[in-house]
Amino acid sequence: MKIIITSNSGHDVLAISGEVDMDTSPELRTHLLEFIHKRTPLLLIDFREVSYIDSSGIATFVEGLKGMMVYGGKLKFVAIPEKIGEIFSFAKLDRVFEIYGSIEDALHR
Amino acid sequence: MAEESLVSVPAEYLQKLEKKVERLYTFIEITEIISSTHDLDVLMNLVMERTKKEMEAEACSILFYNKATNKLEFEVALCEDDSTCTLLKKTITLDMGQGIAGWVAEKLEPIIIDDAASDTRFFSGVDQQTGFITKNLIALPLVGRTGLIGVAEIINHNRSSYDLEMLQLLCRQFAVAIENALLYRESIQRERLKQELEIAAVLQKSFLPESPYFSKGQVSLSAVNISAAKVGGDLYDFIEPVGGKVGVLIGDVSGKGVSAALYMAKIVSDFRYAARLQISPSPVLHELNSQLSRSPRGMFLTAVYMIIDTETGHAEASSAGHPPFLWLGGGQVRTVALPSGPPLGIIPSEYPSSSMQLDKGDRILLFTDGLFDAKNSSGSRIGMEDIVRFTENNYHEADLVGRLIDHIQDFATGADKADDVTIVEVKWGGLP
Repeated sequence: MKIIITSNSGHDVLAISGEVDMDTSPELRTHLLEFIHKRTPLLLIDFREVSYIDSSGIATFVEGLKGMMVYGGKLKFVAIPEKIGEIFSFAKLDRVFEIYGSIEDALHR
Repeated sequence: MAEESLVSVPAEYLQKLEKKVERLYTFIEITEIISSTHDLDVLMNLVMERTKKEMEAEACSILFYNKATNKLEFEVALCEDDSTCTLLKKTITLDMGQGIAGWVAEKLEPIIIDDAASDTRFFSGVDQQTGFITKNLIALPLVGRTGLIGVAEIINHNRSSYDLEMLQLLCRQFAVAIENALLYRESIQRERLKQELEIAAVLQKSFLPESPYFSKGQVSLSAVNISAAKVGGDLYDFIEPVGGKVGVLIGDVSGKGVSAALYMAKIVSDFRYAARLQISPSPVLHELNSQLSRSPRGMFLTAVYMIIDTETGHAEASSAGHPPFLWLGGGQVRTVALPSGPPLGIIPSEYPSSSMQLDKGDRILLFTDGLFDAKNSSGSRIGMEDIVRFTENNYHEADLVGRLIDHIQDFATGADKADDVTIVEVKWGGLP
């Protein structure tokens, strides 16, 4: 897993590539907790290059989401590949996370 | 003749020789101390104590090199005054190249400072913070088999002469001993962790049903639960909420290890409490969801809870973000994805129940994602379609579950990590 942090129209974008699993999610967690610590109002997660996510990866995002909800922050997922989208929809995680097709969609809706 | 064989030895030479022997004794003594213990703290204190005495020094310290931060940190400091030591250990770190110790760490060469006040290489920051006044200093690199371990410092010694070469030799011995003690400490920690995991595994198993088989009326249940790691994240449970009904829970906790085991213990006890006297799965999952909402680190549970009437074969099931199950009946294998709520423990939600009528000989296979997520050595996953096809081809096998397990284990041969897998088979014998 690789994480690149960039900015789009003044909003933080965390772009992940590779597998988000038991071994790699602690690194993701460190980044998310930093954003929470800074009370980032909107954090976009770019899933375009994510090849796999397991339950520990999802739990890490659940923790991030709960942490952001405390201060009214928003966590938005963008560009989820089809296979991962299937997991999200059968696990009804699309009811938990806000999911958008692209960064532009996420910023304007 | 006898007098001729006497060799006259100058007194000076004898003195030198005596000193050498004395030093050799000191060396042997310190080497003995060094090899006397595997306990890092004991080792460091013994060596420092002895060095301090031998060198008539006011203080000794060891800075450890932290590879991750590329900085030097005070590990042990022996001073006349305890508060200085405490302060040193807590607050002071040095960059590579910073101050005397930083220089020594970078160049891997010793430094002798006879007058710290006038030497520009001396970093007075430490003195300023501790209030300790450094007059003179000997700093030596500690280099072991794996490279730089740290820097040893002898501060304010009162020896007019000493043997630098021997100090260096001792430092080499000392560095290797520190390495060994660190390895020993790591192996003890590993052993402790292993034992904790074993306890967690026993704890976890104690929350699963005592027997993987259960039957009541026309319903028989059996389960296979294989953990990839010592402590897995899958769970199942069989209960009788009221007479004439059998409840089957299958679930998958996010994560593995000790935290998953403890979380599972909570889930199973909360589940048994919530499921008592309930004849519909919907309120049970609803209750479990609110019980788990304060779960740590975003942990959650995907689950299916099914209640079957032991006399009529009527079944009701609810799902919380759990994968579909397979329904084998009338020669067909159906993949059933129930209307579902999100996994338990994330957000407040409803969990609708769905009704089913089982026919004589029908089987239901409930499972966790380890079944269709099994990965082979080239990294591709087996997938749900393969599982369905395999089930169709082995429809009439009495030990279908065993065959499925073999099938995914064959597929995953040579893969570096396997997932946990749990399959619960529900068989309906038919109306009497």
